[in-house]
Amino acid sequence: MVNLILNENMKLYRRWRTWVMVALMIGAVLLGSFVEWYYDDKDAPPDAWRTEIAEEKEHFNKLLADPGMDEETITYAKDQLAIGEYMLANDIRPESGTMWDGINGSATLVILITLFTVIVAGDSLAGEFSTGTIKLLLIRPASRSKILVSKYISMIMFGLLLLVVLFVVSVLFNGVLYQFKDIGLPLVTTDAAGNAVEKSMVANLWLTYLLNGVSTILFVTMAFMISAAFRSSAMAIGFSIFALFAGTLLTELIQAYSWAKYVLFANLDLSMYLVGRPYQEGMTLVFSILVLAAYFVVFNLVSWLVFTRRDVAA
Amino acid sequence: MMSEPIVSLRNVTKRIGRKTIIDNVSFDVPKGEIFGFLGPNGAGKTTTIRMMVGLMSITSGTITIQGKNVAKEFEQAIRHVGGIVENPEMYKFLSGYHNLVHYARMVPGVTTERIREVVELVKLEDRIHDKVKKYSLGMRQRLGVAQALLHRPSLLILDEPTNGLDPAGIRELRDYLRQLTREEGITVIVSSHLLSEMELMCDRVAIMMSGKIVDVKPTRELIGSHDQAASYLIEASPAERAFAAAVEFAGASAVKAVPEGVEVTADRDQVPDILAHLMRTDVRIYGVTPMRQSLEDRFLEITGGERVG
Repeated sequence: MVNLILNENMKLYRRWRTWVMVALMIGAVLLGSFVEWYYDDKDAPPDAWRTEIAEEKEHFNKLLADPGMDEETITYAKDQLAIGEYMLANDIRPESGTMWDGINGSATLVILITLFTVIVAGDSLAGEFSTGTIKLLLIRPASRSKILVSKYISMIMFGLLLLVVLFVVSVLFNGVLYQFKDIGLPLVTTDAAGNAVEKSMVANLWLTYLLNGVSTILFVTMAFMISAAFRSSAMAIGFSIFALFAGTLLTELIQAYSWAKYVLFANLDLSMYLVGRPYQEGMTLVFSILVLAAYFVVFNLVSWLVFTRRDVAA
Repeated sequence: MMSEPIVSLRNVTKRIGRKTIIDNVSFDVPKGEIFGFLGPNGAGKTTTIRMMVGLMSITSGTITIQGKNVAKEFEQAIRHVGGIVENPEMYKFLSGYHNLVHYARMVPGVTTERIREVVELVKLEDRIHDKVKKYSLGMRQRLGVAQALLHRPSLLILDEPTNGLDPAGIRELRDYLRQLTREEGITVIVSSHLLSEMELMCDRVAIMMSGKIVDVKPTRELIGSHDQAASYLIEASPAERAFAAAVEFAGASAVKAVPEGVEVTADRDQVPDILAHLMRTDVRIYGVTPMRQSLEDRFLEITGGERVG
């Protein structure tokens, strides 16, 4: 099994294509962080954030004074006020204008990881079929299931590699841009009771990665399944990328229907349970995890059934 | 007579949908033999071979390789097999060497030393670290042979191995196969639609037609031997006089006029007498060639004249 994974990795990393993707990933982080840094107001006095928070406070107080406000806005305003108070009292500046602004901004680039890993996944099996190498691959003393699993593992490892690249490059580059000032800055947020609490910035970052990673895994697994079923890289990659971008649109179109909550795309964004509200009334984190797990199992089962059963003809 | 067969097919049938592709095929291949599969395209050669190496499922019947059932004990059965299924498709973006490393990792016990050995055997030492996309077709074919031999298989299965090769490449491949059977006792199963190839390569040939085995015979028997009644091409001039003299001697039914002279069907013993007779009538003789009945003639006979290729 280890040897099979080594083989898959060899086929992956001894290709130009793979390193172009890694380079693009790095380039995107550098560019994004640079732009973020470039437009920072560098002449602002170090205490400028205090006046900003004071201004925000005024704004939120005005909101609270308005009797027509809905529940959600009121909670939000109260939370922001608590956070502002806490920051002023403990001399903790907001992340805006620090290295963490760029780092957290880069976390949205997880979508690039999804994109690149989907390309690898879509080509992984179908590519072997279209070049004909599948024939020499399958006439060895390794069962088809093992080959399938080794491909899957090597693909997930590629996704993880990109994630580590994202993390390391964004922390280092933003650190250099801001001379690693405020590296120990905590994240101030509110707990369920509305009290301000400090959290680790890095831990929060990885939580964001993890939540975004869930959708990466599902899209990749889907691409892998299409790759196994239709043996066409173009179809697997094309359809998965289409789904990646059209999924959100689709969920908005069908939001009114109660069955929509069982659709994959409606459950992909788990952060909706941390901030904001669920896609539909009555959906919980556990519900979404169960739905996602069901899709995950079905996708993998289909890949396995199709790949291990079907004849290799032509 | 036969030792334990290396490969044994018993009533093997393959159906896809309602169509029967392979119909009740049975045969054994003993150790050390080069066994040929001959038949027009679409006869089922490739399907049979793909079932033997587990690329296609078997609808009914059993295939065993060294006593192991391919369908049930795939990993044990395939361990003894080296294969080239049509053109050996290698990873073009990898070097020849890394392609071999790739396949070496999939079978326990293949050392770096062994990789070096097979590279030497197929004479790719100088180019083995080049990317496969820079290889010529002949070099790819050699790399294909190398990957098939890597794990010292006792059985080589080659599906249309000469497809796309030039005559020199075909000859090279043939020499390898002969050498392997002679020196390492490897058994070879090879399919082709090229009769001339099979004739030169194989010890025994199975002729396949529409999913059935029509005939299995030693190549020698199939093409007939020199001692039997056969025909001889006599290059002679003037042709008309040669024809008349030959008819006089052997009878009109045994003589055919051909551009070079005459073709006479006769026993070997009679050949000197025919020549003497021709010379008496002042016919000039330039050469005599025995015409063996070729595998192609035999094949056309067996398959009822269906075209090949």
